[in-house]
Amino acid sequence: MGWSPGTCSLEDGVAEELIVGYAARSLDPEAELGFERHLKSCSRCQRLAAQQGAVWSALDAWRPPAVSPDFDRTLALRIAASRRISSRIYAFAKWIWRPALPVAAISAVLAGFFLLKDQHTARQVLETQPSAQIEQQVEHALDDMDILKQIGLDVSAQRSDSARKI
Amino acid sequence: MNPDGLQPQVAQPSWDRRVNSSKAADRFLDRDADLMLQVREGNQACFTLLLERHRNAVIHFLDRMVLNQAVAEELAQEVFLRVYRFRLNYQPTAKFTTWLFRIATHLGLNWIRDARHEKVQERLDQEIDGTTRQVRDRNRTIEQELVYRAKLREVRQAIETLPSKQRAAVVMHKYEELGYVEIANVLMCSESAVKSLLFRAYETLRMRLAHMA
Repeated sequence: MGWSPGTCSLEDGVAEELIVGYAARSLDPEAELGFERHLKSCSRCQRLAAQQGAVWSALDAWRPPAVSPDFDRTLALRIAASRRISSRIYAFAKWIWRPALPVAAISAVLAGFFLLKDQHTARQVLETQPSAQIEQQVEHALDDMDILKQIGLDVSAQRSDSARKI
Repeated sequence: MNPDGLQPQVAQPSWDRRVNSSKAADRFLDRDADLMLQVREGNQACFTLLLERHRNAVIHFLDRMVLNQAVAEELAQEVFLRVYRFRLNYQPTAKFTTWLFRIATHLGLNWIRDARHEKVQERLDQEIDGTTRQVRDRNRTIEQELVYRAKLREVRQAIETLPSKQRAAVVMHKYEELGYVEIANVLMCSESAVKSLLFRAYETLRMRLAHMA
C-alpha cells in the first residue's frame, strides 16, 4: 500500500496530500481537475484514491451517539461544587490571614527589639574590651620594667667588678 | 517536468474551501473569544452559550478518541470545567477552539495512556457496548442494521489500532474538519509532522478499510 518512488510522477507527500484532499473534497477546483487528469494516467494513484474514498465513506458511517440529556446539569453541579470549594479556600485563607497580620506585626516588633538589644550589648562589649586590654598591657609593662631594673643593677655591678680587675 | 501538468504550486492542495469557510469561522472565532472574555468578566450566560456551541463537538471528538461514551462525557465535563476554572487567565492569543481541543486532546491522550494496561476484554466490552448504543435507523431493515453495525464495528476497530496521536489527528481532520495548521496548533507540533501523522494513519486505514468500498 505504501508509496514506491518511480511509479508515479508526483512527489510522495504531494500525492498523499492530493489523495486525502480529493477524498475529502477539499481541493480547489483547479487542483482537483489537475489531479483527475493525473489519475487517468496513473493506476497507482487511481487505486489509492479509490481506497481513500472507501475509507472516507466508511468513516462517514460512524455517527456519534446522542449526548446524555443530563450533561449540562451535571456540569453545572460540578461547576457549583468547584466554586464552593474555591470560595471556602478563599474564606479559609482570609480567616487565617486576619489574625496572622497582628501576630506578624508583633513578631516583627519583638524581632526588631531583640536585634537592637543584641547590637547594643555587642557595642558595649566592644567598648569595654579595649580598656581592659590596655589595663592588662600597662600592668605587664610595669612588671617588665621592674624586672629590667633588677637586671640592670646586676649588669652595672658586674661591669664595675671587671673594671677593677683590669 | 511533470507529465501530468501538475506543477507543485498547483498540485499542492490549496485549502481554499476550508479557508473560505474559515472566513465565516473567523466570525465565530471572534464570537467565541468575545464570549470567553465575557465569561472572564463573570458573565455566566456566556459560558452557557459557549457550552451550547461546542458541547457536541467536544463530546463526539472524545467519544471517537476513547471509544467509550460514558468516559467521553466524563472527560468532556472535565474539559469545560477546566475552561471555567481558567477563565480568569484566559488571553485570546489563539483561536478558542484550538485551546478547547488542546485541553480535550490532552485529557483524551492521558486517558488512553492510563487505560492501555487494562484488560483487553474490558475494552472489547466497552466497544460492543458503544456500538449497541448507536440509535437504530428506522428506515433500515434488520439485515441492513446488522450490516451497518458490522461495518461500524470494523471502523471502530480500525480507528482503535491507530496510535493515539494519529487517532487524534484523524478525528480532528475527518470529523471536526480542522486544517493541518489548526491540528498542528492543537497537538503542538509542526504542520509537516501533522501531515506525516495523518498520511500514516490514512495508509493504515486504507489497509484495513479499503475492502468496504
